[in-house]
Amino acid sequence: MPAIETDGLTKRYGDLTALSDLSLSVERGSLFGLLGPNGSGKTTTIGLLTGQREPDAGSARVLGIDPVTNPLEVRGAVGILPEREDPPSFLTPREYLRFVGDVRDLDDIDDRIGEWAERLEFTAALDTVAADLSEGQRQRVMLAQAFVHDPELVFIDEPLVNLDPILQERVKEELRAYRAAGNTVFLSTHFVDVAADLCDRVGILDGGQLRSTRDATDLSNDALLDYFVETVDSGEVATVRGSTGSAVGTDGRPEDGSQAEATDS
Amino acid sequence: MIREEWRLHTQLFGGRRFGAFPLAVFGLAAVGLPLLSDLGVGRGTVVGGLHVLVAFLGLQVGTIGLVGRDAMRAVLGEMTLLVSSYRTLPISWRRLLATFVLKDLLYYTGLILGPLAIADAVRAIVVGTALSDVLLLWVTLAGAFTLGVTVSLAMVAVGTRSRLALLAVIGLFAVGVFGTDFDFLAYTPAAFYGAPSLLSGIRVAAPLVVSGVVAFALFEPIETGRRPATWVPALPVGHGVAGRTLREVARSGGSVWKVLFSLSVFGAVTGWLLVVVADAAGLEIAHGIAFGTLLGLGTFTTYAWVTQFDMPGEYHRYPLAPTRLLRGKLLAFLALAVPSGLIVLGAAALWFPAQDLLIGVLILPAVAVYVFGVSALLAGLSPTALLFDVARFALFGAATAAVAVPLVVLSLVAGRYPGIAPPLAIGIAALAGVVGVVIADRAGPRWLTRTRG
Repeated sequence: MPAIETDGLTKRYGDLTALSDLSLSVERGSLFGLLGPNGSGKTTTIGLLTGQREPDAGSARVLGIDPVTNPLEVRGAVGILPEREDPPSFLTPREYLRFVGDVRDLDDIDDRIGEWAERLEFTAALDTVAADLSEGQRQRVMLAQAFVHDPELVFIDEPLVNLDPILQERVKEELRAYRAAGNTVFLSTHFVDVAADLCDRVGILDGGQLRSTRDATDLSNDALLDYFVETVDSGEVATVRGSTGSAVGTDGRPEDGSQAEATDS
Repeated sequence: MIREEWRLHTQLFGGRRFGAFPLAVFGLAAVGLPLLSDLGVGRGTVVGGLHVLVAFLGLQVGTIGLVGRDAMRAVLGEMTLLVSSYRTLPISWRRLLATFVLKDLLYYTGLILGPLAIADAVRAIVVGTALSDVLLLWVTLAGAFTLGVTVSLAMVAVGTRSRLALLAVIGLFAVGVFGTDFDFLAYTPAAFYGAPSLLSGIRVAAPLVVSGVVAFALFEPIETGRRPATWVPALPVGHGVAGRTLREVARSGGSVWKVLFSLSVFGAVTGWLLVVVADAAGLEIAHGIAFGTLLGLGTFTTYAWVTQFDMPGEYHRYPLAPTRLLRGKLLAFLALAVPSGLIVLGAAALWFPAQDLLIGVLILPAVAVYVFGVSALLAGLSPTALLFDVARFALFGAATAAVAVPLVVLSLVAGRYPGIAPPLAIGIAALAGVVGVVIADRAGPRWLTRTRG
């Protein structure tokens, strides 16, 4: 069973179609990157997959759970790092993570806080109120809240924003180790180099439409950038209708030999 | 800034609903002013009450300096207001703040006091009194609003520099009011309305100028990253929703004292009303029922504080059922509102018989729970919607009146029916409390649907 499976997922805000007919499959144990320009629908996709928003059409399964009918179950099973959001200003990281532990019913939250503070290097800031932390420290706390309950799957939206280069490398290592342990990462970014460095598969989202997906393990930064620009410029759209729900490339053929039936629209 | 303010409100509440707000104010005033007159309430009492209400509104508007950018972001999402452009443009903070305050004055005197004045003008034409009286009322009400804003900003300005200095100022003011014969009311815009003269004008201008100068000289924007490390009091309140909420209120500007301050204003208004009504009607009022009811209603300000720092979208990230979220909020609400309300009730014992007030200890928490339930059902975690969304404002008014009117009537007739009125009041309040818990539970899923989008 894939970690994520969607079929014709569509979301409209008034007259604006933020996401159109998204059909996608993300295998367990993979690091999938959803790559797209600003406003392409990446954050909306995460919102729909985690039950934070309701689709206007289509369906989705996340770890086998329907996020529309069981949003709390999905959010209990996954971790979410939102884009551009800080920990609550008047709480310390320790207090905020204890709050997260409380709503996630974690008994050993203090041990987990210590572990993640050490891994992401904010132990010294654990008892400083968040309003007094630097942007980078806040981002580390937000990363910790996404991982603190050891989820099988995390949705992370621009995870390296505000981090210095050394810490960026540390976080990348954490993500690779997390994936290597059999977990799944759904990464949303508009930074091609981040996707090239981390992802073993990428999907290109533009104007609310999935243009294509492809294997990215063998792609250099420049090659992925060329692929990204060509895909967006071509305006092609890849959709998948098939028993496996596997994604397809821009040429309309399944990349992994599955029985998926692909159509360009 | 005026354009920005308009778009901000219309985006928050919907253009038509917000646009209808001045019409709602006009309608309320057009019905309420003649009705009060027909009930025998004197013009002086009505005008005095209006000045108190408008000054209170000014105090509330001015407390935006208390909450700062973090709370603004919580309410409005990621956004930048023109007032923040001092960071990037060659324009001083004080000039921007002055423009910001001026814009608020124009905005509120136009959208709220304007329709009120028009309704009063209609009344004046019908009963044949001078329109100049209406104009004078509009001017002095604008003065009361301005005084509220500048006093509030000045208190925040002093408080951010030194909490000790703020306590000293409040203490001196309290000693002046309660310990001396100094006539503070002569320095309020209401006094100018009562007896307009040059001397009265100078007296009324003095506190405006002083508070305005203090506010603009000492006020500093609360900006993340610019302030010194915040003191973090350890609170033994658990780490769930209630504990988090209590920490946020306690550590934000004004701490838990802002809850007490808001309820104190309600307490003062209640006390003043009781004295006025008792004098005018010669009734033997049940002070405890009246105080318990009106302070309970006043806890809608506490609801605003316990939801001030919430970004509804954040809670959608956790496996947190909306019912559990709102129960946590209710706990925090009660932990703040009940002790604060009881302190005000205790203070009322300085002026009214303590034995009469005791029943308020039972009525206040029950009415507060009802107010919580109604607020949660109608506004979710965005209680500012109650202020400018006409439909919700009307529903909130009707729902609170459904409980407040019978209780206030019982407080007025308790002297005549001493055996029936008090237990009946307790029964109504208890029932309201139960209803409050039930609708708060129902509010959760409703709020979830509305914010999930």
